[in-house]
Amino acid sequence: MSQWLAHVIDRAANVDDWLSPVRANALAELKQKDWPGRRTEAWRYTSLHKVADLNLATNSQQTAEAPLVDGLNSIDLVFVDGRLTTDIAALNLPAGVSVQSLETKNEAADKLFGKIKPEHHLFGLVNDVLAQQGVVIDIADAAEVDQPIRIVNVATDGIESHHRTLVRLGNNAKAKIIEHGVGNDHSLNTVFAEYDIGDNAKLEHYRLALHEGNAIHVGGSHFRLHNQSRLNSTLVGYGSQLTRLDVDIEHAGEHAFAKFNNIYLLAPNEHFDLHSTIEHAQPNGTTEENARGIIGDKAKAVFNGRIHIHRHAQKTLAELNNRNLLLTRGAQINTKPELEIYADDVQCAHGATVAEIDEEALYYLLTRGIDRQQALIMLNFGFVQELLFQMPNRALADWLHPILKQRFERMMEQR
Amino acid sequence: MLSIKKLHARVEETTILKGLDMEIKPGEVHAVMGPNGAGKSTLGYVLSGRDGYEVESGTVEFEGKDLLDMEVEERAQAGLFLAFQYPVEIPGVSNMEFMKESVNAMREGRGETPLSSAEFLKKAKAACKQVELPLDFLKRGVNEGFSGGEKKRNEIMQLILLEPKLAILDESDSGLDVDALQVVAKGVNSQRDGKRSFIVVTHYQRLLDYIEPDYVHILSNGKIVKSGGPELAKEVESSGYAWLKEGENA
Repeated sequence: MSQWLAHVIDRAANVDDWLSPVRANALAELKQKDWPGRRTEAWRYTSLHKVADLNLATNSQQTAEAPLVDGLNSIDLVFVDGRLTTDIAALNLPAGVSVQSLETKNEAADKLFGKIKPEHHLFGLVNDVLAQQGVVIDIADAAEVDQPIRIVNVATDGIESHHRTLVRLGNNAKAKIIEHGVGNDHSLNTVFAEYDIGDNAKLEHYRLALHEGNAIHVGGSHFRLHNQSRLNSTLVGYGSQLTRLDVDIEHAGEHAFAKFNNIYLLAPNEHFDLHSTIEHAQPNGTTEENARGIIGDKAKAVFNGRIHIHRHAQKTLAELNNRNLLLTRGAQINTKPELEIYADDVQCAHGATVAEIDEEALYYLLTRGIDRQQALIMLNFGFVQELLFQMPNRALADWLHPILKQRFERMMEQR
Repeated sequence: MLSIKKLHARVEETTILKGLDMEIKPGEVHAVMGPNGAGKSTLGYVLSGRDGYEVESGTVEFEGKDLLDMEVEERAQAGLFLAFQYPVEIPGVSNMEFMKESVNAMREGRGETPLSSAEFLKKAKAACKQVELPLDFLKRGVNEGFSGGEKKRNEIMQLILLEPKLAILDESDSGLDVDALQVVAKGVNSQRDGKRSFIVVTHYQRLLDYIEPDYVHILSNGKIVKSGGPELAKEVESSGYAWLKEGENA
């Protein structure tokens, strides 16, 4: 047990709100947990020594603006250091959308809190016991909500904070949710989100984990898909001092479809760790997962992509691909696709590569007069840009594009 | 404009060009015909400076400068353009971004100011229409998922935008139906202004019905074995390349 975790457990005893009965279970679970070390498989390549004796303040009165995304026209819920700064009552919500604070006792939250996120995530349990603020979004059956809802989490200097997002999409509903995290000062912020996607419902989801510098960000997005539901999710991550994300997608109904694209772009010395698990528990499900990363000097990326096809889940189609580009010899990637297949009639493919420059493409650009350095930038960035092009939300993609490109150009300069 | 003298070049251990000579003046269109394996594509690759195509001996001057001494991108900036037989697909780079970079690289090479996005967009749209490609092709990844004919038209669109001094068209007719062939030929002909020169590499005479050459050269076994006017292409059309073999045997 680390000093920090002991402190978490102490603090958890003082949390008293309507979720306390649920938190008690998580706390009991947390007390059983060992502090992860190198021999803990889920943390094998990510050291937690930077967290082990953290002692940050938990009270913050900071305010911050949500990053402005041209043309996005989103409904914004802004949290600063875990504290909601948006007046929910003043929001002009589309029909069929209910938004509540986690502090308010409500039925939707009760059905979701800790019900979708698997129990084995250590920081998920920490979030269970400490996240007193958060947002609960309920999309009514058959409501088709076109306007994106964005949950912004800003982490500021010297603060530890915990946030929870809970979302239910009713049957036949449609929604677009953006989890947008930022912060570049020394801070620890855990952000976990649980999504229940009803029969034939459709969720377009983004998680932007744009933490930099000394920020430590740990979190997860966890999805349960019911019959015929569709999830299209894009995760864009930087590394920061330490960024660790766990994504779980559970096919709990038949004929569900999940597309999950990940882009990670690591500046020098950053650390990014993504663990994804796709559970095919029912037949006829489809998953397409594509992860692409560019890793700068002395930065380290960890990708663990697990697909678990249960005995009953016949006719599953699942593909997982992870491609990485290391910009220098000092850059590092630990990638591990894991397939566990217990059904016999499935199509499943996976691959993980560490890429080289495509010489033919480079030659083509040179014959058009583009100088070598610029051609390398275009090709290397093209590698992740391809996934950016696939984002359904153009406004968000157009906003991200120059930001990611500039970050990448700096990474190239710092080789 | 271009002067090739006794050019010998190899790929790995195999010598492909074996003493090729060619003189091209401004505004001229030269067709290079020949059977498969004669070295037609190699000529384009060697002139453009592709890695792995090694010049053993001979000289190439482009507007009085030693072309072989220049990097690939310098040759392009100096005004040499190669339309590829099999253009590569680059999924992550948009056609628009790619062509804007290259147009501005050329302009920079000529000491001109770069085009703004709006100025470029206007030109790109016009060129796209000229080769009869839908405008959404500008937004797609470079050649990504394009059919063979669409890739060829995309090459001609670049020819129009880049305004080279000398364009080498490497089998720009292969795999095209008659309609697409006419679009490609029209695009090329629109760029014939009396100053710009062309090397039209082709296996068949068909393309030369639409792009009329001033000179026709027959390339065989790495050398020009016969040169003449447009009538030479017609001869090839009727008698094929079999006579080359007879000539060798004789």
